[in-house]
Formats: sequence, C-alpha cells, structure tokens
Amino acid sequence: MDALFQPDGDWQRLGDVAVVSHRVNSLALNLLASIGLLVGVWILTNGDLLWVGAAAVAAASWTTWRVIRIGRWIRSFGFREGERDLLITHGLWYKSLTAIPYGRMLSVEVTTGPVSRLWGLADVQLITASHRSNAQIPALRATDAARLRDHLIALGEKQALPL
Amino acid sequence: MIDPPLDGVQTPEPEPAHSADPDAVPPQAGPPEPKRTERPHPLTPLIRGWVVSLALIIGLGREILGWFTESRPLPPLQLLLGGIGGIAVIAVLIGLASWLATRFVIDADELRIESGILLRKSQRIAFDKVTSIDVLQPLAARIFALAELEIDIGSSERVKLRYLTRARSYSLRDYLLSRAHSHQAELVHTEDPGLQLGDLSAEDEVLVQVPPQRLLLGAVTSNEFIGLLITIIITVTAAAIAAPYFGGPVLVLALGVSAISGIGGFVVRRLTGQFNFTLSSRPAGLRISRGLTSLTSQSVPPRRIQLVRLSQSLWWRRFGWYRAEIDVLGMGMRNEEDTHASVSSVLLPVADHAQVRLVLARIWPEADWESIQLHPAPFRARWLHPVAGPFLGLGHDDLLVVSRHGWLERRWDLVPHARVQSIRIDQGPVSRKLGLADLAFHTAGSRLHPHAYGLDANHVLERQDELIMLAQAHRSDITLAPAARPAAPADQPGPEALRADQAEATISDTE
Repeated sequence: MDALFQPDGDWQRLGDVAVVSHRVNSLALNLLASIGLLVGVWILTNGDLLWVGAAAVAAASWTTWRVIRIGRWIRSFGFREGERDLLITHGLWYKSLTAIPYGRMLSVEVTTGPVSRLWGLADVQLITASHRSNAQIPALRATDAARLRDHLIALGEKQALPL
Repeated sequence: MIDPPLDGVQTPEPEPAHSADPDAVPPQAGPPEPKRTERPHPLTPLIRGWVVSLALIIGLGREILGWFTESRPLPPLQLLLGGIGGIAVIAVLIGLASWLATRFVIDADELRIESGILLRKSQRIAFDKVTSIDVLQPLAARIFALAELEIDIGSSERVKLRYLTRARSYSLRDYLLSRAHSHQAELVHTEDPGLQLGDLSAEDEVLVQVPPQRLLLGAVTSNEFIGLLITIIITVTAAAIAAPYFGGPVLVLALGVSAISGIGGFVVRRLTGQFNFTLSSRPAGLRISRGLTSLTSQSVPPRRIQLVRLSQSLWWRRFGWYRAEIDVLGMGMRNEEDTHASVSSVLLPVADHAQVRLVLARIWPEADWESIQLHPAPFRARWLHPVAGPFLGLGHDDLLVVSRHGWLERRWDLVPHARVQSIRIDQGPVSRKLGLADLAFHTAGSRLHPHAYGLDANHVLERQDELIMLAQAHRSDITLAPAARPAAPADQPGPEALRADQAEATISDTE
C-alpha cells in the first residue's frame, strides 16, 4: 500500500479470526442468495436445465469472488492510534483514509451482534459531531474492543476540543 | 436551590401569570416561591381551530369540484357545513385542552416547557444549547398580532411555542439569544413592532438588504430557472412535433399553459419567500428576516456556523453575484425550499462581492478567504473532471480551508479548521492510475458536504499531516475579533465543561 493511505507508524491489522468470520458470513449469505436465485430461475424457465446450469455457474463464481474479496478487504483494514488522532484506512479499489482527532470524539460505541458474538468479535465505532465521519473498526476481539474504547475515551477526555 | 430575583421577567399577557403548582408544599431548605409560569396567548386554540377548518374546507372543496366534473349528486349542504363545523369545534376543543396543558417558564435560570394532554411532557432546555430561534408569523396569527416562537436545539425536533403576542415573542427571542451566548441578559419588554414587512430593532445594524429587482433578476438568471426553461422548451417542441398524431393543438396549448404556470410559480415562490431579505447584525449574532406572505425572522449565532458555501450560477459570473449558504449545527435536515415560512440555510440569496466580504468578515473576523492561495488540480484531473477541471482547487491558511469545485454552478466551500471533525482521503481505481485523490471534510452540519476533488496525490500526501494538525489545534474562538477576545481564555472551556456541553441537550421526560 502506498504512503498516501498508510503513513508511517504502528499500524494494527484485524486478526485472522476477523477474516475467517467474515468469509464464513459472506459464504452463508451468498449461498442463501444463490439458492434463491436458482429457485427463481427454475420457476421462470420451467426447469430448463441450461438456464439453471448457467445461473448456478454464475452464482458459484460470484460467491467465490465475494468470499475471496471480503477476506482481502478485511486484511486491507488498518488503524493507527497516533499521538493525537486515530487513523483508519481500508479499501481495495476505493481506498480511503480517515483521520479523527481524539479531541473531536463525542463517544465510542462497542457493538456486537449475535453472529459476531459467536466468534467473540465486536465492532468499535467512534462518534463525532459529524454523522459523516463513519469511523468504524469492525471485527476486533471483544477484549481488544473494550480496551480500545477505554483508551480512546481516555485520550479524548485529555484532548477535548470545543465543538 | 435559591431562586434568583425574577424582576427581569414580565408577563405582558392579559391573563395573570399562573403559579406552577399551588398545592405544592415548599421544601424545607430554601423555600422558593412557586415559579411564575406562562401560557401561550388565549387566542391560540381559536387560531389552531381556524387553521384546521381552513385545511378542511380546501380539501373538501377539491373533492366537491371533482364531484362536479363527474356530475355526481352533491350531499346536502347542511351535512357539509355541519361536518366542517363539527370538526372545527373539535379542533378548537383539542386546541383548548392543549393550551390549558401548555405552560412555559423562561427566566434567569431555566427554560422549561410543559405540554401534552395525555402524555405530559416537561422539557427543559439548556440555554447554551439553543442554536437558533425563529419568530414565525403565519397569516392567521398575524391578524391577531401573534407569532410563533420556534427554538432550535440541535435535535431533529424543534421546540415550538405558539402562539405568543408579537412583542413577547421578540423579547423572548432576544433574551434567549443573549443567553445562548452566555451573556448575562435582562429580559426586557419590547414594544410590539406592529405589523410590518421588516423586523428590525434599534440595535440592529443592517448589513445586506436585497432589493426585489435583484431578487427577480437573480431568480431569472439562476441555473434552476434556465434548467426549467430548457426542459419546457424541449417538452413543448416535442409536443408540437407529435401534436398532429395525438391531441392536436390542444395538447400543445395545455402543455404551454402548465409550463407558463410552472415558470411563474418558480419566480413567485422565490420572490415571496426571499422578499425584502435583510441580513442584520446585532450583538448576539446575525439575523435574517424575509418573506412577503409570511414573515420569517431567523437568528444565526456565528459560533454555530460550520461552513459557508458560496455558489455562482452560470450567468451570475457575469454579474459577479454570489449566493451564500451556511450549514448550522443543529439545523438538521432543513429543506432546501427557501421559500415558505420554514427556516432555510440561505445566508445571502443574491449578493455581490462586497456584500459577501462584509458578511464573512462579521462571521469570521480574522479569516480572509481571498488571500488564500489555491492549488489548482493538475491537468490530468481533467480526465475525471472534464469541465470542472480548470476550476478545481484547494488551499488553506491557519484558519480556513477553501475548496473550489463545480462546473455549472461554481462553488467555494469555506470551512474553518476549528469546525472540522474528521478528514477523509479517498481514491478510486481511476484516480490511482492518474495519481489523484479526493479530500472530504466532515463537519457537524448535515446539509453541505465540503469536498475537494481531483487533487494531486503527492500534494495531498504533503498536506495531510498539516491539515489534520490544524483540525485539532486549540485556538481561540474564530468568530471573535482579536480586540473583542478576552485576554485570558475564559471562553475556552476546559475538558469538563466540554463534556457538559456535549451532554444531552434537553432533559425531557414523559409521565
């Protein structure tokens, strides 16, 4: 990755658990969608095997692509706890780098859903006064997420900036 | 709690002030006298009933017109009138009940509104959370010299007090605005300014007044108008060509009539909405008053302004005119229709360069957007931005970031570093091949999204640290002139004060 989206520093990546969990999620969702698609095609074409076969190939290749892709996307994710700001980078084709000064944080949220709880994962979201900041770090280990939250809150309180 | 003296409070209402809770036993420690609470004006239920029945009459009228054309039998007149009358009476009764249930306190130490018939709601608002206050005068209320007070506290719901006497509305507005700036203010009784098109008091200093001619010319030369015109010309031409095969000249005529009414409607809306647009300055902030059919006056505390966007329609370049829009913290999802009695984000509908300078100097005295050197986007950016390419640019000094973009409508986004919440750099696959990057500045406003497009990636790389540093630098209030600034940074709240500032704006509870 180039210097634009990854300035020097101690970058933290998401762990293998995050990659595996996202791959499994993606696989499950895409398989469900594929089955739906195949049933739809079956009904629409009155069971024409040629069409159903073509749809199956398309669905299988899409699913494979998505499963590989989501893993790479999660690996592209990184964050850096700087001295005064948090940097978050992600993206494969559309890369982005978000910088949030600690002083601008209003709160930090840790959320976890039923599926990610199975993996012992949680998302950390930084809330600033701007709803467009969208600073989310997905799929951290729950303990890491809690630690990060407390750390960020402590830094934010120390460096608070006026709204 | 010891009650501060209430001499500042006056109750110009005809009815005596009500005690909050006459049966309440005063607590042992520091027995305060019951707070003086007020009710809205007693005519309120009548006006609200009138509004409901008017809406009803218009709605029913449309239905009946429909019946006429379908030549259906009409229901008996008595039934109709009785129905309307009945609903109007119910509306008045509901209005009466809600009027009885509504009380408010605005005094030296609190701003509290109690309302609700079944669900009692007590809303207490911190003075410094008030972002803007508007005095609205719909026609029905105007007749009785009443007005509605709308308090914006940054949440999606605006607190409404209706209806108060006009004088009371204005004095409360002035008081709350001063308190919002943490001035110690006295609630003074202002004289009823009477029915008037403008809304100025003695301490107001008029900065910009937009004459109707310029408003008209501005509307006619705006991109929206030209776009409307082009659409209509295309439709009517197409209809004229197709006419022999379909409806004949009637089709063209019908289209033409609706086209003309569309154009007329656009111009009239612009004119009546922004009629007599006056931007004035008073100690507590800026004030906008405008409108022909319903007078809207809106207060804008400069501290809450997140960014200013100047924009210029295609033809306005020739006149050197600009339109200035602002995004204010807590303006929420205000509509863009800058026409009716609703609050809009337009700071200046049509203004020349000198006026823009004047107003910006009021908002951010030290910031000078014109002296900022803009770095143009590199030539290769024209692959992605063929028309806007030569105009794109970004620059900053230690107070402001200026981004220039847009093609049919040229835009300058002026964002103070002090209002930037976070910064994002974006790069898509094509941009990466070209060595370009985009920047987005996130502010607390929700309507305008300041961006800079097609920048040289290396340039961004060099600047990103600096921009991020500037976004988090502690500095004194950008809205104050150096002379007006306190020597000790008393205005600079410490971390604790900030936490309190960011706490929930309203404490409301429902029973």
